Parts: sequence; structure tokens; C-alpha cells
Amino acid sequence: MLSEAFLQSLRTLRLNAPRRRVGTLTGERRSVKRGRSAEFADYRNYTPGDDPRRVDWNIYARLERPYIKLFEDEEDLVTHILLDDSPSMFWQPEEGSEADRLAGKWLCAAQLAVVLGYIALASGDRVVLETGSFQRFGPKRGVASAAALIAFVERVSAADKRNLRSPNPAGRSSLNAWLRRYALDARPGLCILISDMLDEGGYAEGLNALGNSRLDFNLLHTLSPDELDPQFTGDLRLKDVETAALQDMSLDDAVIGQYRQRLAAWSGEIAANVRRRGGRYHLADTSLPLEEIVLKDLRRAEWLI
Amino acid sequence: MNLLNPLAFLFALLAVPIVLLYLLRLQRREQSVSSTLLWRQVTMDREANTLWQRLRRNLLLFLQLATLALFVFALARPYVNLPGAASGRVIVLLDASASMQATDVKPSRFEVARAQVRDAINSLGVNDQMTLIVVDGAPRALSALTSDKPQLLDALASARPSLEAADWSAAMALAVAAGAGNDDATTLVVSDGANADDLRLLGGKARFIPIGSSGDNIAISTLTLRRTLRGVSAFVRVTNHGTRDDRVLVSLRADGALIDARRLDVPAGKSAEWTASNINPNVTHVHAEIDEASHNALALDDAAYAINATTATRHALLLTRGNRFLEQALATLPGLRVTRAVTAPLGAQNYDLYVLDGMSMPLPAQANVLLIGAQSVFSTSGAFSNTGYVRTEFHPIARDVDWRNVNVLDARRVNAPGWLRPVIESQGGPLVLAGQSQDPALQRVVLLPFDLRRSDLPLHIAFPILIANSVEWLSPAQGLNVPLSVKPGEVVPVPENTRLRLPSGEEAIAGRRGFAQTNEIGVYAFEAGRAQGAFAVNFSNASESRIAPNLNLQVGSSDAASAPTAAAATSQREFWHWLAVLALIALVMEWWVYQRGVPAVRGKP
Repeated sequence: MLSEAFLQSLRTLRLNAPRRRVGTLTGERRSVKRGRSAEFADYRNYTPGDDPRRVDWNIYARLERPYIKLFEDEEDLVTHILLDDSPSMFWQPEEGSEADRLAGKWLCAAQLAVVLGYIALASGDRVVLETGSFQRFGPKRGVASAAALIAFVERVSAADKRNLRSPNPAGRSSLNAWLRRYALDARPGLCILISDMLDEGGYAEGLNALGNSRLDFNLLHTLSPDELDPQFTGDLRLKDVETAALQDMSLDDAVIGQYRQRLAAWSGEIAANVRRRGGRYHLADTSLPLEEIVLKDLRRAEWLI
Repeated sequence: MNLLNPLAFLFALLAVPIVLLYLLRLQRREQSVSSTLLWRQVTMDREANTLWQRLRRNLLLFLQLATLALFVFALARPYVNLPGAASGRVIVLLDASASMQATDVKPSRFEVARAQVRDAINSLGVNDQMTLIVVDGAPRALSALTSDKPQLLDALASARPSLEAADWSAAMALAVAAGAGNDDATTLVVSDGANADDLRLLGGKARFIPIGSSGDNIAISTLTLRRTLRGVSAFVRVTNHGTRDDRVLVSLRADGALIDARRLDVPAGKSAEWTASNINPNVTHVHAEIDEASHNALALDDAAYAINATTATRHALLLTRGNRFLEQALATLPGLRVTRAVTAPLGAQNYDLYVLDGMSMPLPAQANVLLIGAQSVFSTSGAFSNTGYVRTEFHPIARDVDWRNVNVLDARRVNAPGWLRPVIESQGGPLVLAGQSQDPALQRVVLLPFDLRRSDLPLHIAFPILIANSVEWLSPAQGLNVPLSVKPGEVVPVPENTRLRLPSGEEAIAGRRGFAQTNEIGVYAFEAGRAQGAFAVNFSNASESRIAPNLNLQVGSSDAASAPTAAAATSQREFWHWLAVLALIALVMEWWVYQRGVPAVRGKP
């Protein structure tokens, strides 16, 4: 699925979780955080109830006042990767071979999921990967689990492709329902949603749920070039791959232009929704090489450091 | 409106596949998309435009069907009956006589007539046929009986007005040959009617299209030159053929240089004369021209040319042992330069005339010779002395020669060839012979087979006249028998290979039968061997100068046959061209609507 050299180049990267870095220090909420580390952060005055073991006795001897020594919390990050595997993610503009089908949006999204999971595993975080069809990987930690992660994604790809043939695939809920359910019992951590956001039921409710949870959530919006700039013209009957709804359209330059305007407005709306809830948004054109998306675009957007 | 090819409507069945294709086109291609979410929003945006969308599609179908309908209609070759000049079998007699060059109607009568014939051609029906006969001095059919309009128009464009009078009887013969007089034939006479013969003999339906409005014309009817004691005088007569008095300015040019001009009052229908004298006798030609006139519609007869025939200096070689009478007679002749010698000098080949008085010399080819007395050219067989009872033939050299009192002691009997004929013959034998050798065309000989000293001829008045006549007759230019003035189109009998210079300055070579390209008015100079000369082509055609149109010319056998049927004549006018153009426009519009509506097809599956 991915080359060894590319995986090697990912080892130096870490996922950036800005919200968690500020103010999550050991000792602030005594009973919840257990983490210890040797990295000194700051001092503060002793207040009743603090663990006497944390008092810096050297300072006490010199100043005759108790101070508590603060250390940076090195609690490991739980990285949630939510991979949308709705039929629209498997969509190709033309009825091509299976290889073509895989080479499209889905392949890019699946590879992104693996790459982000691998980076998290390599930096020692715990990784949970869940698909829209409620298949879950993890939580696991350590690079050793990378192979299992890749195998899981491949298994999901195969299973979903089989399911695509049935007109109304079972065990799939709407985007909103999935995200809401996931946000309910998710452990705090970094959450990356990989999706095209194309769902009949919309996305607002799901994003709300994620934003209100303790998750630091990011949206990697994957759209294929055929969605960004459709290349088909003439009198067409458009068929929704998810709902099988039909839509008669006569496509000419003017209509395509309007479509592009609609698309820009729509993705801008999603980005604004995400940012309002404290998340980050990145639109990925799935026709770009994976290396370019990961090593260039995501680093520039400071998702990776 | 009728159709020539109604079967073409079968092509209308093509509308069925067009509609079928259109319906097929409406079967939309199915295209899967990841979601119709955004497309639905676009549709909502465009809801206002769908009416136009649908209409545009229908517009395409409508334009396609309209194109087909127009093409099919054009193929059916519809026509309407329009009133036309003539229909059926049409024989057009187009007058191309000189009077048709009059400009009383603009641009000229001939061009107006040509336009009339063009209209007649254009109004020809589909099944009508036409032949075009140009009537000039030698009428001819420019096109056979045909319904091919381009061919007729080409033939019409090639017609030219001539300088001659029209030969209407020959034209009528041609018309009859083309079918005039038949029931379905209409003869169309397009003419000014001037000088047209009575065309009543034209059988069948006939119609006269008159051309021309006025007969005002001033012509130089005469220009002659006369030698006088003090040079040459020119006589000019100007004739007013019109109905209005006029005052004209006539100029006279000698060899192109203006020598005199005069205003002449020419009353209507009358002539005015003018004699200009004291013109240099050495000019080669004189040219009279009407420079200004108020009522002058025909330009052809405004100029006249006259050749001064006596100008050329001729060189004569006189070989004699001394003959005062002969020398004196030759010396008084104008325009003759005599070289007297005892033996033939160097360059003896270049004389125009050889006078051998009892002597002989090797003669160059084509020499003109006056032989007197003993000679070595023709053999002789004895002599005769009974020289009375003289008979004089009619011959130029015997003109005004009174031989009655002439006495000749004796003369030699000449074994003359057949072409050398006796001109003055006595009882015993011929005393003067003259003739022109048949080969090589130009050798004139005058033979006096007696010694002048053994006769009293030099003492008589007949002698200088005979010598003058002989020298005139023997001069090379005269030898050609070229007239001084001819009419346009006349053939001038110059020898083969004569070089001519036309009035326009072009050069030409005469053919075997003389020179026939006399279609230009003016002076033609020529050079044939040692002979040089000129002749003039003058319009001088009083009947063609009378250009008054005869607008009531009677054509055809009866009045009833001509006028009413001609008025009722209709022609079938086709208009499929316009339908084809409309169809093309519809096609272009269809393409344009299509191009505007749907962008260039990209990424077709």
C-alpha cells in the first residue's frame, strides 16, 4: 500500500495537537492526570491538598515557603482517525475497472488514513481508527501495530467494495449519526475525520457533536477532481450513488460554472463550521500524489510537525 | 405557383429520421455522481432558465425541420408565372447596324437594346428556348436555339455593334431558318427601326421593341481632294439629318496638323459645303471632323478622311540615246523624278518605273516598264507599215488619247504573250500594248513597238497624254488597284503579305484575299514590295447617318398577331435559388444556436 521509503520519511513527523499543548500540565487536576515526567515546567505556590511529595524542598529550605514544582505532562495522545467509507467515497465518474475504482478518491483517503495512523503510532500515541460502517481498529500503540493498521484498512476496502454491489448496504448510518455516536464515548485526544462530507443528511449535527466533545478535531475534506471540476457535458441523467436518486441535467458551460460556484460556497461553509468549533479544515484534491498532500500541504497547514 | 419536380417532396420523409434522432437525443445518458446534493442546488438556481433550455432544444429541431423543408421545396423547383417579353420559342433579332451606336438614349442604343434582350433572356421560362441573331452587314446567329440562359447571356455579351448597315433580308432568312413563323415561335425585333426594311414578311408572332428617341445627327457626308494650280483644295459637305437647325464647327487637318476650322450653319435636313484651298500638295491625307455640334447623336460619321493620291514621288529611269520629246513629256509630269542614262547605272533595281527608249537592260523583278521602239523583252516577227484604221480599246492609258491624226511609218510585229493586250490597234497590228503579268503579280508593261522618230506621234497632243496615262498606270501604287476610300468592312485588294498600319497604330499583314479588317475609321498606310500607299476607311453611309428611329415599324404579318399576344406573354420564373439561400441561412442559424447552447464536447465517454 505504501512504500518503505515513504514510511521511513514519516518517522520524523508528529501530529500537531495545538489545543492540548497549552495548559494541560500535570497537577492541575490532581486526580485525573497521572502522568509524570522529568521535564520541568514551572513553580507555583503550594495550596492545601497538593501532594507533599511535589513540594520542592530545596526552595523551601532557602525561602522557607513551600512551592510546588510543575512538570510537563507527557501523557500519550489518543489519535482518533475517522475514515468515511460511504459509497460516495468509492465513486468514480465512469464505470471503470476495479483498479480504476481503487485509484480514485477512496484509495487516496485510505492511504491518508494509514499515513496519519502510522505517524501517530510511530510517535508513540495510541491510535483508534473507525470507519463509517463502524469497523474499528485499536486502540493500539507502537510502530509494531502499523502492519495491523494497514491490514485493517485493506480489509475494510475489500469489504466495502463487496457491499457496494448491494443497492442498499446494511450497517451504514448517516454521517451525522456516526459522528454523534463516536463523540459520545470517545476518549479525549486528537480526532481526524477523513470524508467527502457528501451526505444527504448534512454534516452540521455531526460536526457539532465532535466540537462539543473533548476531541481536538480536524477535517480532511477529500474531493476528487471530477467533483471539483466535472468534465461531463450534454443531456444527462445524474444518479446519486448513495441514494440512487435521479436528477436530469443539461450540462453546458454555464451550468458547470454554477456548479463550481455552489461547490466553492459549500466547502467554504464547511470550513467555517469547523473553524467555529475550534477545528482545522483542509481540502485535499485526491488526484494529487499522496507525498504532496502529506509532506507538503499538511506540513504547511501545520497538521504535522 | 406550380412545381416542376413535385416528386422531390418525397425527400420530406427525411423529417422522420430527424425527429427520431431528436427523440433519441432526448434519451438522457445516465451518469453516476457521488452525490446529487450540489447538482440539485444548481438546478434550483437554474429553474428560471429551464423554459429557455427547453425552447432552445425545440428551436434546434425547428431549425432543422425548416432547413429540410426549404431544401425540399427548392428541389421541387417551384415557379411562378410572370409577365415576360416572350415565351415558347423566341427568336431575337438584335439590330447591330451603325445607327445603333447613336447615343440619343444613354449609354447608347445598342446597350439599351442589349439590356432589353438581357431582360428577355432572364424572363425566359423553363421550357422556353431562344436564339439570338445579330443583324449587321452579315447577320449571324450568336447562339443556337437553347434554353441555357448563361449561354445566351454569354452570346449576348459577345455581340458588338458594327459600322455597317443591317441586312434585314438575310436576317429574316436566318429567323425563318430558326423557326420564325411557326405557331409557338415569337420573333422579337430589337431595333431603332432606322433603315429597317419592311419586316411585315416576318411570319407568325412578332414583336418590335423600339430603341431610340431622337434622329438628330450631323454627318460629314463628303470629303474630296482636288489638285489645283496652287496645290490641293478640299471639299467638305456637312449634312444635318436631324430635324433641328444646327451650327457646327468643322476642323480640317492635313497629316494630323490642323490647317483650318470653320463654323457652318446647317439647316435641318439640308447640307452645308465648304471648300478649303491652298493645301500643301505634298500632304498624304486630309481629315475633316465635326468638333462641335448641338444635336449630334452618332459619332461615327463625324469624321472623314481623304487620301491625296498624287503625292508620292516616283523615280523613273529613262534609258535613251536622246529623245527630246520623250524627255520633255516625262519632265512635265508632277511627282516624277526622271534619271536619264545611256546605260543602266548602279542601283538600277530601285526605280519605280523603267522607260526603255529603243534600249535594253536587265530588268529587276516586278519592274514596271514602258518599252518604246526596239526592245529585247518580247520577240518580234517582222514589221508592218499599214498603220491606218486605228481601233482604240477602253483602257486607262488610252483615256483622252486622240490617235486619229497620228501617223506611224512602220512598226514591229510583237509576239506578245496573252496578258499583253493591244490597246491601240491598226490594220497591220497593235501600235500600243499594255498588260499586267500574272506572275509574280506585279509587273506592268506598256509597249509602243515603233520608233518615235519614225512617227509624228510626238507632235500630237496625244503624246503627252499617252505618256502621262502610261506613267500613272505604271506607278507601283496604282499597280495594286487599291481604292483610295472604302467603306467599313469592305475588303481591300492588297497583295498577300502586304504590311499595313492601322489608324490605331497597330500593324497587320494582309492575307491571300486582301485585307478585311477595315473596321476602324481612318487612314490605313500599306507597303507591298516597292509600292507604298494609303487608303481611307470612311463611314460615308448616308442611310445609316439617318438615324431617326422608326418607332412604329410594322413587323409581322398582321397587327392582331403582334401586340395583344405579346402583352399576354408570360414566362415561368423559378425561384429555387432563394429557397436554397434561405435553407443555408437556416442551417447556419441552427449551427450557431447549437454552438452557443452547448460548448465543444469534451471528454465524451
